[in-house]
Amino acid sequence: MAENPMEQFEVFKIGPSLLLNGTNVSLTNSSLFMIISVFLIILFFALGTRKLNIIPGKIQVLNELVFDFISKMINDTAGLDAKPYFSFILTLFLFILSLNMVGLFPYSFTVTSQIIVTFALATIIFIGVTIVGFIKNGVGFLKIFVPSGIPVFLLPLIIVIEIISYLSRPISLSVRLFANMLAGHTMLKVFGGFVVALGIYVGWLPLSFSIALIALEILVAFLQAYVFAVLSCIYLNDALHMHH
Amino acid sequence: MSELDDLKKKINISKNKIKTKFLPSSNNNPIGSAFRISTELVASLFVALFIGWYVDKWLNTKPIFIIIFFFFGVAAGILNVVRSTKMINKD
Repeated sequence: MAENPMEQFEVFKIGPSLLLNGTNVSLTNSSLFMIISVFLIILFFALGTRKLNIIPGKIQVLNELVFDFISKMINDTAGLDAKPYFSFILTLFLFILSLNMVGLFPYSFTVTSQIIVTFALATIIFIGVTIVGFIKNGVGFLKIFVPSGIPVFLLPLIIVIEIISYLSRPISLSVRLFANMLAGHTMLKVFGGFVVALGIYVGWLPLSFSIALIALEILVAFLQAYVFAVLSCIYLNDALHMHH
Repeated sequence: MSELDDLKKKINISKNKIKTKFLPSSNNNPIGSAFRISTELVASLFVALFIGWYVDKWLNTKPIFIIIFFFFGVAAGILNVVRSTKMINKD
């Protein structure tokens, strides 16, 4: 009766196997739910912008809310210079948010609970931010590893520490999102198993706990998407302004 | 002219109100910052240990560099935590 709580994270193939130059590119449940999430985002904006009014409709208000929210967040964390990256950050935020939210539905699959997905996203940001930093500051971007006001004999030590701290960014970014989603969904499954195992008389206790947990998970799903976007903005800010 | 100045003052006051009301709101969310800090410490240690292990494998000096980089990793982790708490306190 008690199901394996980790079973929900299994990636399996849907439909026929596809091979492209020897690489397996067949559709999996993971990629299916990514496609669903992207489709939901497109649907959200398509419905909101179908007929634009000065006095906006319900979905249009939501669209504008999301736009304002992200635009304000970028302004707060990375300043006006980061405006050209608005569309990227917005896409990133909405993609992670919808992946997290779709994953909360029963029988669905949480793509962000796979570390390879979050690590790929974090690596894209890490490499992109580094490239932006070198384009904006030239070789001077390397000064990010040399904080000012440090005695010379400490410099070799500090530079190594700074480089490690810089390299740890994609790890901490990806592990945070992955661990939160994995832990939350495992907990939900475990408490769901308790409800079945304890039956009608005592089962309502873990059931009420599950309800509270679901509310927490919705908060976490939003918060993690937000934190991911905020941290990308902070890294972008470091690359654009370099005030260490 | 004084009417215009009055109007300007009023506009400035309400602008400031908007700023103080809406700006940091979710930035200093305690749960958000807790999530943020917790992984910073571990991530640097992980990176440093990986570098140490790799250098050891490369130079065939089994435990030396992994030990050295362990301390670097701890230092970098604490540096990260200090930085992010500073950022949170600033908001």
